[in-house]
Amino acid sequence: MNEPKKITVEQMLARAFAIEREAQARYADLADQMLVHNNQELAELFGKLAEIEGKHATKIKQRAAGAELPYISPLAYRWPGSEAPENVDISVAHYLMTPHHALKMALAGEQRAVDYFEDMAKVAADGAAKALAEEFVEEEREHVALVKAWLAKYPEPPAGWDEDDDPPMLQE
Amino acid sequence: MDATPMSEALTPRDYKSDIKPVWCPGCGDYSVLGSITTALAELQLPPEDVAVVSGIGCSSRIPAYANTYGFHGVHGRSLALGTGLKVARPELTVIVASGDGDGFSIGGNHFLHACRRNIDLTYIVMDNRVYGMTKGQPSPTTEPDWAESALAPGGTGLRPFHPLVIALASGASFVARAFSGDLLGTAALIAEAIQHEGFSFVEILSPCVTFRPDEREWRKQVHPSPVEPTDDPARAARRIMTDDGFNTGILFSGERSAYAPARPEGPVVEPAYFEAEFAV
Repeated sequence: MNEPKKITVEQMLARAFAIEREAQARYADLADQMLVHNNQELAELFGKLAEIEGKHATKIKQRAAGAELPYISPLAYRWPGSEAPENVDISVAHYLMTPHHALKMALAGEQRAVDYFEDMAKVAADGAAKALAEEFVEEEREHVALVKAWLAKYPEPPAGWDEDDDPPMLQE
Repeated sequence: MDATPMSEALTPRDYKSDIKPVWCPGCGDYSVLGSITTALAELQLPPEDVAVVSGIGCSSRIPAYANTYGFHGVHGRSLALGTGLKVARPELTVIVASGDGDGFSIGGNHFLHACRRNIDLTYIVMDNRVYGMTKGQPSPTTEPDWAESALAPGGTGLRPFHPLVIALASGASFVARAFSGDLLGTAALIAEAIQHEGFSFVEILSPCVTFRPDEREWRKQVHPSPVEPTDDPARAARRIMTDDGFNTGILFSGERSAYAPARPEGPVVEPAYFEAEFAV
């Protein structure tokens, strides 16, 4: 449970892997929610985001070049927020949400990842770990730019997007 | 960090089943499920050594979504089922899940006596202050002036049930409050509750975004308890009675020995053993 003060290359990789894997799981959960609630467009979008995060996780595993990453228990990561940085906030999901909302959530997650690795670079154990953290910062910045470009295709929907004349649940 | 390689460790995902939850998107119960699976992964408990038992209601769907043993029981009786299971199979980690309607109304009497018995259970109540599954009626913890339900025009006018005080007064040896929006903070509390010997009660404020959209504001209202947990029930009672209802953290952690009835040695007790005890 005790967090090392200085982060090694292996620990940095373990953190990066956990971030991507958790983001993948979160997007997959949201895809399931949207599928269950018949928002097909969002189910596909969240599914796509899960797939992308899965590829990022695989890439990080490959970076480890076969070396076993150290186990860090879920609470020992001590993420700066209430979850891993790239996890989008599940509590703001809505069954009528649009791609604009989903991509704004994704953008915020990618930005948190940039901030996280910037902080990790400051606590790197050595030059190699610092260089790796900085590399992750650059990668996450690229993701921010990609999501921004994606988001530009989906303008903010007008107010009232969450109003439903025939809601699945009516107050009694 | 420990010496276990990452590839051999159980992750929160390993404790989730393949069944897709049907809760409304935005429901706090998704995060509670995440907190439970994270706590189990933190403790690296083998899934086959864990049972999640529930009653009826939105929150009580949770055993289906956990990749552990599970029992989706009858309304208000989750603690009776959990107690029976723990007595018969004390080696299992038994987590009992409920909601404010299931746990404090029809299940209220079981709640009192589960606290009193202090059997080594972890009782998680997802409190959204409304009956969600039956479409939004006031529950025992609903505010007296909440007037959105047609069944209670103008609000119930009734003083809400105070589960933490009741738990403390009834003898629970661990009392905590959490907020579903803090997934890891809640997971840490659940892990502590599981490790605590005796009856551990964790009230989780878990918004119902469909019938209580106002509860989305809870995120701004919750705050960590400013004081350390106490083992003095009188002090804990004073704190809980006078707090704003949004203090999170361990509010009481006592040392009363957990009750475990005498039983023969060995992991499995045949039902006949207990039947003989209760024979008239």
